[in-house]
Amino acid sequence: MLLLWVPTMAQKDSLNIKNKDSVVYKQAYGIRLGIDLSRPATSFLDDNYTGLEIVGDYRLTQKMYLAAEIGNEKKTIEEDLYDFTASGSYIKLGIDYNTYANWYGENNAIFVGGRYAFGSFSQTLNNSQIFDTNRYWHPNDFATGSSAPMEYKSLSASWIEAVLGIKAELFANIFLGASVRLGALITNKDPDGFRNLFIPGFNRVTDSSIFGVGYNYSLTYFIPLYKKDKKPSKKKELTTE
Amino acid sequence: MKKLNIVLSILSGIIFISSCEKDDICVDGATPLLSIEFYDVTDTTELKDVPTLVVQGVLEDSVYPIIANVSLSSIELPLRVDATTTTFIISENLTATDTTTVNKDTITFNYETKELFTSRACGFTVNYDNLQGSISETDTDQWMKEIKIVTALVENDTLVNVKILH
Repeated sequence: MLLLWVPTMAQKDSLNIKNKDSVVYKQAYGIRLGIDLSRPATSFLDDNYTGLEIVGDYRLTQKMYLAAEIGNEKKTIEEDLYDFTASGSYIKLGIDYNTYANWYGENNAIFVGGRYAFGSFSQTLNNSQIFDTNRYWHPNDFATGSSAPMEYKSLSASWIEAVLGIKAELFANIFLGASVRLGALITNKDPDGFRNLFIPGFNRVTDSSIFGVGYNYSLTYFIPLYKKDKKPSKKKELTTE
Repeated sequence: MKKLNIVLSILSGIIFISSCEKDDICVDGATPLLSIEFYDVTDTTELKDVPTLVVQGVLEDSVYPIIANVSLSSIELPLRVDATTTTFIISENLTATDTTTVNKDTITFNYETKELFTSRACGFTVNYDNLQGSISETDTDQWMKEIKIVTALVENDTLVNVKILH
């Protein structure tokens, strides 16, 4: 309302109301480092899983951050007729773009981003049974396929991710974040005789699709390196003429 | 703050959905059966019915139940997946009502098993390769005259694998 009224006043007298006051807002730039909380929590609660992820980002511009995650996961999945363990590490590198307009003193982020990820892992087929609809030779159960564990080493996969997340400052440079990711596999070489059913960092691989979902909850600490002026956002002027 | 609410609900929605698992049902197929057809030894292109065809599997001296046959000139037999050999007793009876005229022949199939990972839902199935068959030599009155292997690789239930001439 004031904005509407003020320009009409400007027409009348030479009062220049477009002068901003001379306080310049500075924002802190630096590195944020921390860990994902969901993976250690799942490691504690789930016997079949251990994992750890280190999360970090570096502020490039007012809204753009260079972000990365490094992690290691080991997951055992027990299906009806076979069970296997996937174990390996991954690294994700990308950009986060903060879409949230922080007020003075605020340091929160609602961001969208992308990652390019690479994982290196091994699959171990622990035991398996042969699927057979015919019950003649084994009336009560399926025949045992392999009981000695088969290990497929030196496997790798790469994928891209679209990320949506938030990072909120709790207090004193400590941030709590959460993000969801939609991943799309680029390269995935299946081992001879088996398939990559779980890729550490990407999660489950479905039979006919290249997509996968993941998430993380992060607790990070911000190390300020320098300060920079906050660029004023384009004001939406209500001009009468 | 409204924007934050929207983002939080999207986030939690995606996290809930990502914990869902696809309800996989195995439809991609199972371990195939050995397909046998019976032909006339005098005219090898003619199917010849086996009177009162009865087939049973044999494993280490114990005889297994009768395998149901589709017709009198063809049958599908399950090969063992945990071994490279399977033995069957195939018998005919020229007079159906008289049980003393039953003529039993023992046939043994040797092969290699190849495990294949079919799909996430099915897991592993087995294909049989390098199929060979032989009729037991100790039988004096063999009604099966010859075995011909048509398709040595058993990987589906559509192709005929073995022709037995009698």
